[in-house]
Amino acid sequence: MEDVILEVKGMCKYFGSLVANEDINMTVKRASVHSIIGENGAGKSTLMNMIAGIYKPSKGEVFVNGKKVVFRNPNDAAKCGIGMVHQEFMLYPELTVLENLMMGFETTRMGYFLDRKKARKDIQEICDKYKFSIPLDEKAQDLPVSLLQQVEIVKVLYKGADIIILDEPTAVLTPQGIEGLFDAIRYLTEHGKTVILITHKLKEVMEISDYITVLKNGRVTGNLTPAEASEQLLASLMVGREVLFNTQKQEKEIGEDLLAVKDLTVKSDDGVVKVKNVSFSVKKGEIVGVAGVAGSGQGELIESLFGLRRPESGEIRYKGENITHLSPRGHRVDRIGYVPQDRLGTGCARDSSILENCIMGYHVAHKFKNPLLVNKKEAEGFSKQVVEDFSVKAESVYTQIGTLSGGNIQKVVVGREFCQENDLLVVEDPTRGIDVGAIEFIWQKIIQIAEAGVSVLLVSHELGEVMELSDRILVMYNGEITGNLRNTDELDEQTVGMYMLGGKRDEA
Amino acid sequence: MKLNLRLSTNGKLTVLKYLVAALLVMIIGSIIILSQGNSPAEAFKALGVGAFGSVSAIGTTIRWATPSIITGISAVIAFKSGIWNVGIEGQMYFGAFVSAVVGYQLLMPRGVHIVVCLLVAGLSGMIFSFIPAILKLLLDVNELISTLMLNYAALLFTEYLTFKYMGFDASELADAIATPDMQPTARLSVLLPRTSATTAIFIAIGIAILVHLLYKYTVKGYELKMVGENLKFSKFGGVNYKSTFLTIFLLSGFIAGMCGGTEMMGTFGKFRPGFATNLGWDGVMIASIAKNNPIAVIFISFIWGALKSGSFHMERVTETNRLVISVLQALFVLLVAIDYEALYKWFCDQKQLRMLRKQESGVQ
Repeated sequence: MEDVILEVKGMCKYFGSLVANEDINMTVKRASVHSIIGENGAGKSTLMNMIAGIYKPSKGEVFVNGKKVVFRNPNDAAKCGIGMVHQEFMLYPELTVLENLMMGFETTRMGYFLDRKKARKDIQEICDKYKFSIPLDEKAQDLPVSLLQQVEIVKVLYKGADIIILDEPTAVLTPQGIEGLFDAIRYLTEHGKTVILITHKLKEVMEISDYITVLKNGRVTGNLTPAEASEQLLASLMVGREVLFNTQKQEKEIGEDLLAVKDLTVKSDDGVVKVKNVSFSVKKGEIVGVAGVAGSGQGELIESLFGLRRPESGEIRYKGENITHLSPRGHRVDRIGYVPQDRLGTGCARDSSILENCIMGYHVAHKFKNPLLVNKKEAEGFSKQVVEDFSVKAESVYTQIGTLSGGNIQKVVVGREFCQENDLLVVEDPTRGIDVGAIEFIWQKIIQIAEAGVSVLLVSHELGEVMELSDRILVMYNGEITGNLRNTDELDEQTVGMYMLGGKRDEA
Repeated sequence: MKLNLRLSTNGKLTVLKYLVAALLVMIIGSIIILSQGNSPAEAFKALGVGAFGSVSAIGTTIRWATPSIITGISAVIAFKSGIWNVGIEGQMYFGAFVSAVVGYQLLMPRGVHIVVCLLVAGLSGMIFSFIPAILKLLLDVNELISTLMLNYAALLFTEYLTFKYMGFDASELADAIATPDMQPTARLSVLLPRTSATTAIFIAIGIAILVHLLYKYTVKGYELKMVGENLKFSKFGGVNYKSTFLTIFLLSGFIAGMCGGTEMMGTFGKFRPGFATNLGWDGVMIASIAKNNPIAVIFISFIWGALKSGSFHMERVTETNRLVISVLQALFVLLVAIDYEALYKWFCDQKQLRMLRKQESGVQ
């Protein structure tokens, strides 16, 4: 008989009338990589949070090593050898890596004094055993994301985990970083650890997993091995229908310059130059992708393009006019739309209705019949158009937007800008953290709108997305545009990845 | 104006929440009154009689509800947009002083005089709120601190102005110092004969309804609301937040100043330094109980007025100290602020956990 380390039987979780998980049965074998995939809202995170002791199941049982367990909190789960690495890292930027690792699990002398020496020795042992090389004395804030992720994994190992749950670990990594992570995962399983991987990305699932569990609407729709599966099969299990991954792009005419940026330099809030002498242009009807490792200056570039941040020097011209110092209101009036990365923080007001969220921007760009009054008919009409065109699942336009799922909120945020007859759309991570079905949908919309003659500047941390949609790719590295590449079939992710890491650059 | 009386489930929950809070206030109040050796039943009865027991009681209730509504609305304007204007009291002092002087000095026909007094009161409050607004917009000074401190400046400065206006010789009678009586043409009519209730209550309710309409139907009202819901989102959506902030300060100050005006034209008839004992703070509390809803402010203010009017009577006929009511008012604010839903959820979780543990021990 095979060695089962974790078994979940009849697990259910209800949030009020909402069914998050219904009768989940799953077995995880020791020393394997087990992937959990599903759309957003399919219940992956809920399931993992129950296994890690963060949520309490409404019904059902968990067995670890064949013994039934009930977790009251994450510490109980840790004692049974279950550790979770969350999508958002939980590290203190001001503390060193060593201190971060000791946090919550301090070894002490005489009960009160931290025993750094012993902790250091233990941690070093773990690092050596699993071939992690992390600088223990550096501050967490000085390390790149890929290393921080390793720190998180070591932290879980240090707490004695045998089962490591990784929540969307590849979302923040470059292709090269993902390879490194996968090597580490393979090494961990060779040494007897079990890894549970939550992800959206089917390619990765096929590459790394030993077993795959597919969730849809809180239920298990498939338990299979990569040998039995294909990307198409997995996608249809997740969505319940066939999914087109290859967006069909038609040849189209690309017009003259709509947006021209010249020698733009932008500083961040703390005075660091984040964008250095950047020049580029976007033509009418063109989709220009901006790729780059997170924090390479994309955020500051976009903010200054939309008037939210004042550039230090340089010039932005739009339709031939200088808009360098225009306010966001002016940009709206000029028919520039913006889909922000942070949909909850910047993209919507959570406690307000869908309608109130839809007419933001519209009320300055289009104006109502009487510019002083909100015309109810017009506002409702526009909101309904957004809801219908983008198939947002909501009771009515007066539903509070915060009660919708992440994918539906994103559809409202994107739809609001796309329905406003803008001429230029600045789109930042339009599919971050949403499900496959919604990704496909939003991709189609981007392609369609560009065919209709709207220019799109697409900034995304998903290289795949940039490569799929763009006509041209700008690569940012350390505040500079190091590559301006035509997106042809010959261009592959590895080449762009080299540009992203500064290993290659166009000759100026 | 059509008020929607059918409540959604959400609305029902809100009403329930107020009822629970009121009940808890009654219970805690009884304990406090008992601990002082008095009978809660007698005290509450006296409170009720003092608030609604006679025409004069009802008049006093209305009299105190009036400034509560106006200062409450002034606070709503600010808080709904995330601006912490706690300087309502100070803005009100300026409005009151200027309207008292204009009410005495100018001779005009009746209707015009009232309108002029009300407008100058509002404008004075507005000008005074311009100081924290400019400090915030240009120098990024936290308005919570600047408006709070300016209250003291307003209190003492209007006192100084009163002395200046009356001549410093008057300072021998420091307690009696006040501006001269306003002209009868600048006084509002009495609503109920032989009570202190005046037609100012209509001005108050009118302001509340206007503000309600502002939020409900206008683009500016929409922007004001969204700035409070999520400032980043509003900036991104093209709301000019600086001019919006300025509007909020000025409007809130204008309404606070008008409250000073109605107080002068209604009950007082002349400006006496320090006349408004915490009326501005009542507004702050009422706005937070009403969850920044202008229509709710009207209802809460009547309860507020009733408590105030009742508490005077209670002190006269029973041994209970009037301050107990102030304690209870503050408690009401606290109890309404509690997130009962989260509390209920936590309770359910605990129950479920106990059940799970029981199952577990049953298995073993």
